[in-house]
Amino acid sequence: MNKKLWAHDFKAIPFLLPFFVAYVIFTILPIFKGLEMSLYDWTLVRKLDFVGLANYKEMFIDPHFWRTLWNTTLFVILTTPTMVLLALGLALLANMNTKLQTFFRGSFFLPSILSVAVISFLAIFMLQPYSGLINTVLHTIGIEAEPFWMADKTLAWVSIVVVTLWWTVGFNMVLFLAGLQDIPESLYEASEIDGATRWKQFRHITLPQLMPIGRVVLLLQILGSYKVFAQILLITGGGPGGATRPLIQYIYEVGFTQNNLGYAATMSYALFFILLILSIIQLRNQRMGES
Amino acid sequence: MSDSNLQGADVLKEVSSQKRKSKLLERNRDPWRRVKVSIGVIVAILFIFPIIWMLFVSIKPNGFSTTNPIEWFTPPFTLANYIDIFMNSLILRWLFNSLIVALITTVLTLIITSLAAFAISQMKFRYKNFIFVFFLLGLMIPGEATIIPLYEIVKSFNMIDSYAGLILPMIASPLGVIILKSFFDGVPKEVIESAIMDGCSYFKLFYKIVLPLAKPAMAAIAIFTFIGSWNNFLWPYLSILSENLYTLPVGLPVFNSTYSQAYVQPMTANAIASIPVIIAFFMFEKQIVKGISFTGIKG
Repeated sequence: MNKKLWAHDFKAIPFLLPFFVAYVIFTILPIFKGLEMSLYDWTLVRKLDFVGLANYKEMFIDPHFWRTLWNTTLFVILTTPTMVLLALGLALLANMNTKLQTFFRGSFFLPSILSVAVISFLAIFMLQPYSGLINTVLHTIGIEAEPFWMADKTLAWVSIVVVTLWWTVGFNMVLFLAGLQDIPESLYEASEIDGATRWKQFRHITLPQLMPIGRVVLLLQILGSYKVFAQILLITGGGPGGATRPLIQYIYEVGFTQNNLGYAATMSYALFFILLILSIIQLRNQRMGES
Repeated sequence: MSDSNLQGADVLKEVSSQKRKSKLLERNRDPWRRVKVSIGVIVAILFIFPIIWMLFVSIKPNGFSTTNPIEWFTPPFTLANYIDIFMNSLILRWLFNSLIVALITTVLTLIITSLAAFAISQMKFRYKNFIFVFFLLGLMIPGEATIIPLYEIVKSFNMIDSYAGLILPMIASPLGVIILKSFFDGVPKEVIESAIMDGCSYFKLFYKIVLPLAKPAMAAIAIFTFIGSWNNFLWPYLSILSENLYTLPVGLPVFNSTYSQAYVQPMTANAIASIPVIIAFFMFEKQIVKGISFTGIKG
């Protein structure tokens, strides 16, 4: 019996090994390596002194850490509800039975497949003062003010949020679209015979039936928004005056500009735990949705 | 007599029910429909307008910059910018890098995830459940938060600033294993059993029978891995130092800032980076949309 099992193990090894090795080295090992790094002074060149929990202490009193963590959280707060509502709205439009259906779906989704470098660049050029598209349009319709989109704290946030919505809403829309298509037609037919209005149908059939997928979209969005980095780096560079700088950018700067990988790894742990908790909630939620 | 009466009544019933149906359809015709379609059209145009604008500006003559939007869409047009950029920048090199990295990442991901998924789905071995749960854990580990130690690990293999460093850390996708495992689980037991009875080896079973049946799942994973790799920013931004090895997302911002005074050249560079994905999008739109609902929900 034992021999037979050994034979089975032996046969399974070549199938499992390539994935197992890559997974352990590049996914699991970094967690432990990060723990080690966070306990040392560690530069880009080499490991220096063991400092115990000093990096963690530093993190708790570092105003930049708290500021950038708050900025990231603010981004989550600003994008999540708008993203879910916009995605739902677009899905309802894209689900209409019209000849334009393909056009709608394609247009709403197309920006999502473009590189972050491209969408950020388009945003910068649309938002430029004096020559940008947005300000030109504003002037044409009689608004004389010259908004400096990247120089004002509030406007910079508005710009980043709008660009992010434009860039990523298509993905969420598709999830809602799949949810809409899963609603049995018979529910609508039955309610029609009972004389329900469109609005009542929406409130009492469409919305409740979309709840499970809505929860998935919501959690995926929170999770995704906490990882924000590239579009902010490329559009505002974290400015004006650090007002939009997210945590990942600060981690990057500490590690690679200030040459302090140990402290960067420590702050990564803070992000790690936030994301881990959100992932666990997300996975539980999904399993609930499936059963 | 009574029979025909009954028939008549049936016919009447039929007619009236049809009338009722068409009445229902009538009411079903949403009075707001036109408004909704119009909103849809406006929003759709807003969504693609910047992309179309980019494509038009990229074919404007060199040095073109005007505040009048109408001029962006009217002649003169030229392809000179494209030639200029292909000749005088590294963009072809970056395109090649992005393509090579995305292709190899996709192929390796497909190979290793499908092999592992096959073993977990169809083979017997010790600690199988433990190993599967161990792989599942990967879903909860956010790559963004472990990127600093990942940098150290890749550095210790001397793979910073190399294709290997760009590709290898990205290929072990737990989501891929989970999707493929559930797909392989659906292969009919009789097919597998009869193949084993015929003395088919596991590898042959995998390669000749299970894999061909899993084409839709493989295609979805392939498309998403490819797009993910093509657009990946953070890791290439950290791990690549020499301009020769930049991928497009890392190279373009450099390009954009060196030309910051002009409109047209960076716009052309961005168009060059986007046109391949836009074409791919129109070719694979259905699979992409299906793939999202497939991988997004079941993930």
